[in-house]
Amino acid sequence: MAQTLKLNVNGANRTVTVSSSDMPLLWVLRDLLGLTGTKYGCGIEVCGACTVLIDGQREHSCVFDVTSAVGKKIVTVEGLAADADGRKAQAAWIANQVPQCGYCQPGMLMVTVGAMKAGHHGGEIASEVEHICVCGTYQRIKQAIQSL
Amino acid sequence: MSVDRRAVLAGGAVALVVPVTMVANGSLQALSGTTGGSAAAPAPAATALGAYLRIDSLNNVTLLIGPTEMGQGIMTGLGQLVAEELMLNWSQVKVEHAGPSASPPNPFANPLFGLQLTGGSTSMRGWYLPLRQAAATAREMLLAAARQLAPGKTWALAAGGKVTDGTTTYAFSQLVETATLMTPPAKVALATTRNAIGQRLPRTDIPAKVDGSAVFGIDVQVPGMVYAAVVHCPTLGGTVASMPASASGAQALVNLGNGVAVVAGDTWTAMRIAESLGSKIKWTLPADTASRDSVHIRAKGLELVGSTNAVPHIYETTGGLDPAVAIANAPTRLDATYELPYLAHACMEVLNCTASVSATSAEIWAPTQGQALNVFTIAGITGLAPRAITVHTTYLGGGLGRKFDQDFVAEAVKIAKAVGKPVKLTWSRKQDFQNDMYRPCAAIRVQAGIDANKTLTAMLYRNVSPSINIQRNSKPGNNPEDTGAVAGALDLPYAIPNRRIEFVPNPADIPLGYWRSVGESYNTFAVESAMDELALAAGQDPMAWRKALLAADPRSLGVLNAVDTLSGWSKSAAPAGSARGLAFLKGFGSYIALVAQISLSGGKIKVGKMFCAIDCGVAVNPDQIEAQIQGGIAHGLAATLWGQVTFAAGVPSVSNFNNYRVLKLNDMPTVSVSIVPSSEAPGGVGETGVPCVAPAVANAYAKLTGQRVRTLPFYPGATMGGL
Ligand code: FES
Ligand code: FES
Repeated sequence: MAQTLKLNVNGANRTVTVSSSDMPLLWVLRDLLGLTGTKYGCGIEVCGACTVLIDGQREHSCVFDVTSAVGKKIVTVEGLAADADGRKAQAAWIANQVPQCGYCQPGMLMVTVGAMKAGHHGGEIASEVEHICVCGTYQRIKQAIQSL
Repeated sequence: MSVDRRAVLAGGAVALVVPVTMVANGSLQALSGTTGGSAAAPAPAATALGAYLRIDSLNNVTLLIGPTEMGQGIMTGLGQLVAEELMLNWSQVKVEHAGPSASPPNPFANPLFGLQLTGGSTSMRGWYLPLRQAAATAREMLLAAARQLAPGKTWALAAGGKVTDGTTTYAFSQLVETATLMTPPAKVALATTRNAIGQRLPRTDIPAKVDGSAVFGIDVQVPGMVYAAVVHCPTLGGTVASMPASASGAQALVNLGNGVAVVAGDTWTAMRIAESLGSKIKWTLPADTASRDSVHIRAKGLELVGSTNAVPHIYETTGGLDPAVAIANAPTRLDATYELPYLAHACMEVLNCTASVSATSAEIWAPTQGQALNVFTIAGITGLAPRAITVHTTYLGGGLGRKFDQDFVAEAVKIAKAVGKPVKLTWSRKQDFQNDMYRPCAAIRVQAGIDANKTLTAMLYRNVSPSINIQRNSKPGNNPEDTGAVAGALDLPYAIPNRRIEFVPNPADIPLGYWRSVGESYNTFAVESAMDELALAAGQDPMAWRKALLAADPRSLGVLNAVDTLSGWSKSAAPAGSARGLAFLKGFGSYIALVAQISLSGGKIKVGKMFCAIDCGVAVNPDQIEAQIQGGIAHGLAATLWGQVTFAAGVPSVSNFNNYRVLKLNDMPTVSVSIVPSSEAPGGVGETGVPCVAPAVANAYAKLTGQRVRTLPFYPGATMGGL
């Protein structure tokens, strides 16, 4: 059933009308809010491409009910530049020339920034990155993470 | 103002008529009208100089390219060529996708083969000289413009996109309008500097790929657009017999022949309805399911590989002796059959396409490797003339050969035509896995003979695999050949005097496609596994054995020597508990040698290190060559260890990444790359990292365990846990 919700995304309050309350946050961000940086990869919590931060926690937006995000702070890749950890991670990704096709990288950055926010460093973060990158940028992801 | 100029791109038999058109405010921008990602700042006024260059009022130079950026860094590599010829600062260089042009000839067609397609690691090979010549032509026209504005002075290029006589300096932006009126010189000299070519310049597309603003096909947004998903017949080759006329929550259902599209207000709704629709659609299943069944297809392959009745296509015969006779007479013989499975592409970005169709025009925004084919596809569906068709190329979230195909584009165009609105079609991951154009399976028999002097005298090679080319082009009266099926086994640089290379098509009906490194992805496994088996049979070190057989080919020898040094092969044994395996390939215009250093962990292969030497001619961007080798190795390793799709009466075994294991960060070996310096013409890079992985790993495994594995993958049925 259609429902109108208020969401806080990247520091901005947004109002959105969803066709069904069980619509995953991923598609609300992408199709209804035009925030296409968050990617669809598998829809079943295996690839990590859809990762966002919700109140600082790493969540897979492909299975995260949009109604559960109401009243919380959602951060997507588009919001990283406004965050000190986010900028640091982005700079490390650029310095190490990590992305190839780039499609998995928003998820890679979000999981990394989430780990930074949890107080983790270097190899510790690397062990938490279980996302898929079909281009195989892992060696450079490791290098970039090592520098954080 | 519009002036036609003829720019002749020398250095090949290619002459292109290049329109020189004033273009204001970036109206050529590939994605104008879309709002995906963050909104771009308004572009400063720009003037086109030839088909490929646009110079704006801020003195930025935008290069328009035909090849598709799918992660291989081609935007950057081609940008470097232009930066060199025009003495640009790297920060001035922008690169965008372009073409196909509305009227022929299409200046964005790859000069190697005259079509705008991206595949076969041909982009740098095709464009290296033509683009440098085009940029050098632009340089001469800018200098001519300076002479026109201030005659009697000696003008020269200065760094940063400027022209100077030592006293006065013009930015290109001040000259470009005049430059468009100059006559292009018939001949131009290419820059001899190496300020951009050969440098590790950062990629132009990476900033947008870390802030979410890069627009992939799946991100395209067009005003008034609706969203579509699709459900195809679960059995390959099936068609729609009957379908519901409508579904609750859907704006429309569209019969696509082999599937049904659901149109809705968002992607998730469309996908959810498509999934639930499956049971309400009646399908007509293909009469023949055996030709779509792995058990049958494999048995057929093994039958044909050993059959004396099969009539092979013979694609190479070398030497004065029948290799069969030479092998029969040899004291040491190899007779080995290697098997490889069907594989999925599993691009990170699922197939998708956005289309808008009216009575007079059609437009698509697509992650496509096949722009030239897109135009044919769209014309075929809409009946429109090519000039009424516009193809916008987005970034690709991986292409891997899959996005060369037209099925997803055709579907989007049909849906847009049916609903009369712009539509974005997105396949679910399940649809993407289950309706792939799969890498062919193969059964490959290698017979070879070594004489009493330990000389390899003969090789008889037979590849039995379903043929991409035959599947696509067979018609009554047309019996296509498919030399690509034995790519990686043809023209081997090894000194093997008598050889015959045969191909026997396996008549299976699984849809086939081009998979990163295509024929080499299976033939190199057979050739390089066999070379190792032969070395061992001759009692020789596999490195020394190959070097001896390649002694007459300096570039082949060069990469073997380089990988020998890099890996320490000849210097010291592998660390305790580990072993090294070697493979070599001359292909895609390049030479590559790979050493895998593996150990066992919990009884399974762990690849700790990979050492790779490559000679790809002029190394335009060494950093990106290394990145492509790292990525190619990751791709090849996943296929070696786990990659496999099987089919039960036409139903694929895989549906998502949970049952199609790919590499994860912890599986990634440490890759070291040695680029052999060369001034030869650039060779291909994007695919070269893949083919040697499987044989290098299998050769290392044989060394480590004494067991020879001739059937891939090593670990079939692998799954991947959730996050
Ligand atoms: S799309 Fe959510 S984990 Fe893959
Ligand atoms: S960069 Fe392409 S999937 Fe990771």
